[in-house]
Amino acid sequence: MDPECARLLPALCAVLADPRQPVADDTCLEKLLDWFKAVTEAGSSLLLLQEHPCLVELLFHALRAQDLSPRTLSFALRLAGVFAAQENCFQHLQQGELLPGLFGEPGPLGAAAWVAPSVRSGWIQGLRSLAQHPSALRFLANSGAVDTIFSLQGDPSLFVASAAGQLLVHILDLAMREPAEGRVCPQAWDWPVCARKIVCHLEDCLRSDAAPRVTQALHVLTTTFGHCHGLWTQGLWVQLSPLVACLLEKDPMPAPHTLVDLLLSVARPQALRIQAFNVLLQPLACVLEAAAQAPATPGLLEGAAGDPMAVDTLPPSKSACVGLLCSALAHLELLQPLPQRPSPWPQAPLLAATVTILRFCNGSAAPSSEAGGRLCTMLVGCVRVQRAALDFLGVLSQGLGPQELVTQVFAVLLEYLMSPDSSPMVLKKAFQATLRWLLSSAMPPGCCDLEPCAQLVLGELLAMLQKRLCSPCWEVRDSGLEFLTQVTRHWGGQASFRQVLLASELPELTRQLLQDPESYVRASAVAAVGQLSSWGLLAAPSSPEQPAIPQETPLEALLLILTTDSEGFPRRAVMRVFTEWLRDGHAEVAEDPERFVAEVLRAAGKDGDWEVRVQGLELALVFLERLLGPRGSSAVAPPSVTARAMRALCQVQLFEFAFRSLFDCDRPVAQKSCDLLLFLRATATPPGSPQEAGDRPNVASVEAALRRWRAGEQGQPLGELAPEAILAVLRSMDLEALRDTLAKSSDHVERSPQSLLQDMLATVGVLGDNEADCY
Amino acid sequence: MPEIRVTPLGAGQDVGRSCILVSIAGKNVMLDCGMHMGFSDDRRFPDFSYITRSGRLTDFLDCVIISHFHLDHCGALPYFSEMVGYDGPIYMTQPTQAICPILLEDYRKIAVDKKGEANFFTSQMIKDCMKKVVAVHLHQTVQVDDELEIKAYYAGHVLGAAMFQIKVGSESVVYTGDYNMTPDRHLGAAWIDKCRPNLLITESTYATTIRDSKRCRERDFLKKVHETVERGGKVLIPVFALGRAQELCILLETFWERMDLKAPIYFSTGLTEKANHYYKLFIPWTNQKIRKTFVQRNMFEFKHIKAFDRAFADSPGPMVIMPGYCVQGTVGHKILSGQRKLEMEGRQVLEVKMQVEYMSFSAHADAKGIMQLVGQAEPENVLLVHGEAKKMEFLKQKIEQEFRVSCYMPANGETVTLPTSPSIPVGISLGLLKREMAQGLLPDAKKPRLLHGTLIMKDSNFRLVSSEQALKELGLAEHQLRFTCRVHLHDTRKEQEMAMRVYSHLKSVLKDHCVQHLPDGSVTVESILVQAAAHSEDPGTKVLLVSWTYQDEELGSYLTSLLKKGLPQAS
Repeated sequence: MDPECARLLPALCAVLADPRQPVADDTCLEKLLDWFKAVTEAGSSLLLLQEHPCLVELLFHALRAQDLSPRTLSFALRLAGVFAAQENCFQHLQQGELLPGLFGEPGPLGAAAWVAPSVRSGWIQGLRSLAQHPSALRFLANSGAVDTIFSLQGDPSLFVASAAGQLLVHILDLAMREPAEGRVCPQAWDWPVCARKIVCHLEDCLRSDAAPRVTQALHVLTTTFGHCHGLWTQGLWVQLSPLVACLLEKDPMPAPHTLVDLLLSVARPQALRIQAFNVLLQPLACVLEAAAQAPATPGLLEGAAGDPMAVDTLPPSKSACVGLLCSALAHLELLQPLPQRPSPWPQAPLLAATVTILRFCNGSAAPSSEAGGRLCTMLVGCVRVQRAALDFLGVLSQGLGPQELVTQVFAVLLEYLMSPDSSPMVLKKAFQATLRWLLSSAMPPGCCDLEPCAQLVLGELLAMLQKRLCSPCWEVRDSGLEFLTQVTRHWGGQASFRQVLLASELPELTRQLLQDPESYVRASAVAAVGQLSSWGLLAAPSSPEQPAIPQETPLEALLLILTTDSEGFPRRAVMRVFTEWLRDGHAEVAEDPERFVAEVLRAAGKDGDWEVRVQGLELALVFLERLLGPRGSSAVAPPSVTARAMRALCQVQLFEFAFRSLFDCDRPVAQKSCDLLLFLRATATPPGSPQEAGDRPNVASVEAALRRWRAGEQGQPLGELAPEAILAVLRSMDLEALRDTLAKSSDHVERSPQSLLQDMLATVGVLGDNEADCY
Repeated sequence: MPEIRVTPLGAGQDVGRSCILVSIAGKNVMLDCGMHMGFSDDRRFPDFSYITRSGRLTDFLDCVIISHFHLDHCGALPYFSEMVGYDGPIYMTQPTQAICPILLEDYRKIAVDKKGEANFFTSQMIKDCMKKVVAVHLHQTVQVDDELEIKAYYAGHVLGAAMFQIKVGSESVVYTGDYNMTPDRHLGAAWIDKCRPNLLITESTYATTIRDSKRCRERDFLKKVHETVERGGKVLIPVFALGRAQELCILLETFWERMDLKAPIYFSTGLTEKANHYYKLFIPWTNQKIRKTFVQRNMFEFKHIKAFDRAFADSPGPMVIMPGYCVQGTVGHKILSGQRKLEMEGRQVLEVKMQVEYMSFSAHADAKGIMQLVGQAEPENVLLVHGEAKKMEFLKQKIEQEFRVSCYMPANGETVTLPTSPSIPVGISLGLLKREMAQGLLPDAKKPRLLHGTLIMKDSNFRLVSSEQALKELGLAEHQLRFTCRVHLHDTRKEQEMAMRVYSHLKSVLKDHCVQHLPDGSVTVESILVQAAAHSEDPGTKVLLVSWTYQDEELGSYLTSLLKKGLPQAS
């Protein structure tokens, strides 16, 4: 511990023990605890307590005092737990009767303070911290704490109840891990006392008729099987699975979704998992049936197909039905990519069901059955179901489907994209799902050729996009531009795509959106222009009748935005595009890369937005890599390459930009510049190579400028620089030290433990008018 | 039993970060999504895993409502929507929608640029989050879905701040967010109509404070600034709560104008400058005075106040005025708590030589204001958030005494459950109404009337129809229900004779009714049938069997009581 902190600690403990001195800021005690955790993790807690007796005194005080605030009491409980996490310190505290006092009947448990949820929460968190070793297990078993934890599972505070459940899992894991080490799955009668007690409790809960108790037990089990992977979990499942199976038989099934979660978290019993999976499939099966599709369509639920009762199992009220469908879709969406998903995965019927749901929602389905009609009325226009179904549809693109179904998928997606009724959020999701399906339709995967049906869709998509880019809603224009950027990125080189795109008004519209009133849209337009231009899709088609009007080039248009746009987002977007252009060798840039880089760096250097300046340095790095080879390869460039590179760098005035950035008031800019200069120094000047004898370059002017900039002055530009002078300055600078300084956050002094202790002591007595104030 | 459930995840007995979950008639709404300025790890955001234990929270929540743009009310929004994954609608007023991303960007800049936090939300996330926002106008009822509707009311506090009424059927909750019941220099006072919600969730920052007159505080402030400037000094006012900067700018601008002062006033470029743009734009949201003068002059076009340029920076001035609260871990906190030596970067220690003044300019309702709002809205229950437990306790008692309503103050994570009386709308058939009308009584909305009919439930709807129509609609045959009663009379005469006597007795008493003596010896009055029989065990006693349909229940029971009194002696 820092000597200054050690000096302040006794005074702080005295303040904490004094009920007349309320702690000023509710974050202080939390931060104090963080600090103690860090201190005890780094060294011996026992030693800490012996060196600072005020800490034990504080804990004893918490035990005896009647008038301590709940906040401080809670803190003391958690602090005791932190110390007792180390077994020797635990024994030390137990000898002093401190632990039984704090966590047993004589402590807050039986006192009036127990009504405060923060005290109950502190009690649980304290136990959670100390439950790390066999001594703690014995303590828990003998002190009756486990029974208290059982009762806290039903606590009115969600935080307390949830923490109680998690503590049970932790104790169970601790108890079972210890004896089972190296042994195969001990029998139930071999389990330690604590574990047996908890398992008995879980069994009671699972047998209970009270739904909350069943749910509590299921949560504990789900967390156990999700987080603990010891062999003992198998034994536990063998013991408890009959009771869980009984729950599945009950009608109505208690806590069905919690049950599903549990069964999915237990990877072993295939039969039960399928049963759980069927619970999720049920609503979708009902939808398929209600749509009364051709009987050839494979059913979702084996055996249940054709059961006329199935549709009626959907809840009759709209909100319940919508809730159930959304929940099922969301669960299935999470399940799809998991390795433990049930196999075989019913891809085709799920696709059919999802398409049907989307059709019900947009009113394009014409169900012939009465049930279908009812479902249609409930779902039509329901944005929630639309969102969930579109998300799930996107995820389903990971699997294959029969061609006919894929055609239907694209058809329904197009319906959504074209419909004037689609909300901006639904549109965005439809765009995302469409992109995923287009990507999965590439033939062969990864190639830019599309399946014929996707090919057809692409044409219609671009026509639709034209309309969407003119939407009065900025969200829609923005999502449209993002989509255009994505599809161009993937298919910009494909002949038919190019043909359709060039024949459309999309390039022109995108250009126009560079002037959109909404800065977010301008930024997306910049990205789209960047992508279109990369593929040569922005050139205005000139025909003999209509000679092309001399337009500014994309580069000019974006440079104008970089130097004049009042908002940061479009300017940042321009910098990203420029960096990409330089990296990929964009035609217009390749004409004269030096001039391009010089111009961009000049603009970026003056920019008020730190992210634009950071991007400027990124662009400078790309330029550097073009000249000197990629970063990461520790090879030193041959002198001829270095000399050429240095001349080019001086020409584009990269050093002026980098050195100024080194003292930028925004830390990330300085950090990035430091990295750049370190890279340059490593590549251009081999380590340990002393400066060559001969003419000493004149570095005085550079060093003088650096001093001025370091002091925060703007000063004169550096002007013409000799490469030798730059290299000499680079060699003489302690860039490593600067990098270390920059790695610290701007508030690291205020965030230090010493500062925290000072602040807590300083507020004593001055709390008055401003204590309850806020924003 | 239907109920309203409220669980604060933040602002329950604290002023840290507001985030309150409300379940009303099966709908789940999250009120505010704030962050805590005092933490720089996960603890700064509410723990959203408590919203639901199974399934995604998007499917659980019907909507999120943001009361105003301060970060302790909206700072966790991009995290919640883009990292936790909520993709339902987010409602806020238009000024909030405009200023919210500016503040979030600024917060991101501090976190990423100054504090070097990785793994923080990006600009793209802020944009994607703002795409989920639906703007609402004041007093406009917005239909979230078929059943859930919300409505915004003016809250003062900052530009665009609103209170929200959340309504499902006849049940409603009002959430105030932060509000101010006294108008200030640029905003009006909060107002709500007498909407009588089942529950009013109100902030209670100043639960025990009755604030001194604003004029005094302002005069004090201007005097201090003026004195310092006159002495040739400089005043630094680090205003960190957006909205207060504008308030103080207007205050200083007016004073400078009145006193014809020449000393320059600067505000920092960046955030305040950007926000000023929107303050100029949303003039309808300010107070009456600013709206009136707007025609000649936009009050936010300052004459004396200019944007600060770095070139102005030299030695610090001799006075700093902190116009609000500072959390631990900031230089502001240190200065306010009176620390005179500040350690700066690189172990350099600075001595605080300047004068430090604390003057609260935060725009919250004081205890009087809160009581006033409760009086305005007339809620059935009140729930306090955004305040300190001890002070809430005091206000709770005051509210319970004065308004005779229950008042709650749950801690974070605690759930308050309020039972509400179910209200089930019932349609009435035209036939039944016409029949009522035929009786000459025109329906009057102000006078409730008793109607007899048959309640039927079809397609989850209730309707009151005539019994004939009910039978027809449900395809049922009519059953007759008869009440029967035995009356024992001591009489030795024969049954026929007995029946005859009953007939003549009833004939004489019930003159308006049709009394008949049937050939089989029984007597009828309307649907009521009376038969005489001998007692099986006691020949001296006769039994009268009386039966009637439910339509004639009144007459039936009257007749029975009449017969129980016995028959008159034969004259």
